[in-house]
Amino acid sequence: MGDKRLHKIPDHGSVKWDVRNSNKFRGDVKETGIGFMGYDFDSATEQFKVYLHYDQLYYWKYAEVSKLGKGFIDGEFWGTQCPKCGDKFFPPRVNCWNLDDDLAVTDWIKLKQEGVVHTFTIAGWSGKSSLKRLPFVLAYVVVDGCNTAIANELRGLAPWDAEFGMPVKVVWKPPDERQGTVTDWWFEPADGWKPGPMNEEKERMKQLCAPVYEWVKSMK
Amino acid sequence: MSRKVCIAGGAATPFDYPMHITPEAMAANCIVETQKEIPDFTLRDIEFMVYSHFSVHFGKQLCPEWIVHDHLGLVGVPHVRIENGGNTGGSALYAAFLAVKSGLFDVVGVYGWETMDNVTQSQGSEFIALASDTRYEALAGGIYPIYYAAMAYKFMKEHGLKEEDFALAAMKNRNYAADNEKAQWYRNDYTNPDSPYYKKALTVEDIMKSRLISYPLKRFDCCLMSRGGAFALVTTEEWAKKHAPNTYVVIDGAGLSSCTIRAGDRLDFPGWNERYGKGYPDMTEFAACRRSGEMAYDMAGIEYKNAAKEIDVAEIHDAFSSSEVQIYKALHWCGKDDMKDFIREKQTFLDGEVPTNVGGGLMGYGHPVGATGIMSALECMMHLNDTAPKKHLSSKTYVKDADTGLVNSHAGTGTSISNFILRRP
Repeated sequence: MGDKRLHKIPDHGSVKWDVRNSNKFRGDVKETGIGFMGYDFDSATEQFKVYLHYDQLYYWKYAEVSKLGKGFIDGEFWGTQCPKCGDKFFPPRVNCWNLDDDLAVTDWIKLKQEGVVHTFTIAGWSGKSSLKRLPFVLAYVVVDGCNTAIANELRGLAPWDAEFGMPVKVVWKPPDERQGTVTDWWFEPADGWKPGPMNEEKERMKQLCAPVYEWVKSMK
Repeated sequence: MSRKVCIAGGAATPFDYPMHITPEAMAANCIVETQKEIPDFTLRDIEFMVYSHFSVHFGKQLCPEWIVHDHLGLVGVPHVRIENGGNTGGSALYAAFLAVKSGLFDVVGVYGWETMDNVTQSQGSEFIALASDTRYEALAGGIYPIYYAAMAYKFMKEHGLKEEDFALAAMKNRNYAADNEKAQWYRNDYTNPDSPYYKKALTVEDIMKSRLISYPLKRFDCCLMSRGGAFALVTTEEWAKKHAPNTYVVIDGAGLSSCTIRAGDRLDFPGWNERYGKGYPDMTEFAACRRSGEMAYDMAGIEYKNAAKEIDVAEIHDAFSSSEVQIYKALHWCGKDDMKDFIREKQTFLDGEVPTNVGGGLMGYGHPVGATGIMSALECMMHLNDTAPKKHLSSKTYVKDADTGLVNSHAGTGTSISNFILRRP
């Protein structure tokens, strides 16, 4: 055997995928590749343009972080910890980030599904696929005392009620809807947490959110 | 390594969304414009081309620099493309700097561009978010303004700032862009009778009233998505002296540094803990900006505490009004205690200590990623060689008697940042 820090690569052809769900969430999305959909011409300026559509199915291999994806399906949080310095990571790092630990391979540890909000924002605009859930709170949360914070949505409160340092818990999608990604879960305020009273800043946030609610309602 | 590296000249296209010109035609235009200032410069002078282009997603074309390169007739001339997020332009300049500094080449062309108007703005935001860690961040609905807002909000709280403090930068840069006919703000709003901002000088209230992007950032706190190109000619001092004796500037300092891809990984990173103290930069400071700024200051012989005094003009990466403010601190222009005064006394306005983004910046001029850092260098340069009055619409946005300039280019959530010190020879 070589160096213990080397990550194991399964033998060629040994990954058989005995649990297959490859099209479970596909709906009517087809992989069409490249295609030209139409064109425009402006006679006055002699400008021409074509409409190109392209889509592509990717096969993201979690490989040595597979425990994370399978954990999400099972409703578990798996992080890692360096056996040398003790630093804890979520999202997991499979080698320690400390240069003196010389790529020490970290150990997988099951994390408590609780954390503290390090910082947050109220999103009133986002990428195409997220527009309909605006406005939402995106929070960076330190989970179970890790040395890192992870970003995810904070639900279960009025957006303007979120607070720095507030305790949060993890809430999961129903098992059958989980995809093995961070969208399988979100944060909510820990049981027993109560928002502080309204104040000038919260009123300002509420006011900024009002047109966002209206706009989303008007979206097809 | 006593060889001095210079920017002999260069030019940028207008930036706009949409704009009807191909990347290769933008390159040709920039080179033709450069020749107006350096009449005996021809494509035959170029020994090495560094292309600066961020995302092949926007054109659905891998290796798009190959199209530009052979279009320019440069077959046989070595070329590389640099891709480094929002710091692509700065990184390409850095590469050209290294190429000349090393002694391997005397004349290096740097051409950068982006064609973000090939997609809708929301799709564009999602493309750019693919430069965040897609596994953990983009999927959660995060796009860059949201990550920046989360960092800006904590910074704002910890420094006792208000939304209005950020809004000053947003107002400043757009209003300066109204004096720059290549600027997207000028083309799209200031001279557009259909825009509510036609011929209007923006106020802080206008910024505050613009719609929510991600608290505390509103629409006018964010930069623009653009098509545009920019070209710079990086040469030895000998070449510059001979061919552009009255207009070249010297790159006296250059720094490049890096930070984590995920902003949440900066609370306790060993590399920063040991350099700047435990817990730095957290999610509030741009450590890679501080580090690369310090590298550039060291090279140029600028003491950090004197930076604001020594720098006469700066073009910095105002992708967000909040990041402009965060950069003031990272570059040692102000500290935690005097930050509020520094901002409210308008020290980065034309009459202040460090006039910043007088060309319009990313919020006013635009941000076609691969072109941006190069545009910033050219905008900074035009004060050091006194060409600003003829390149801008008036001398209102000309910083007179400037000898030292700073150029900053910034990527990711502060993941890669470069800084340059330019000097009048």
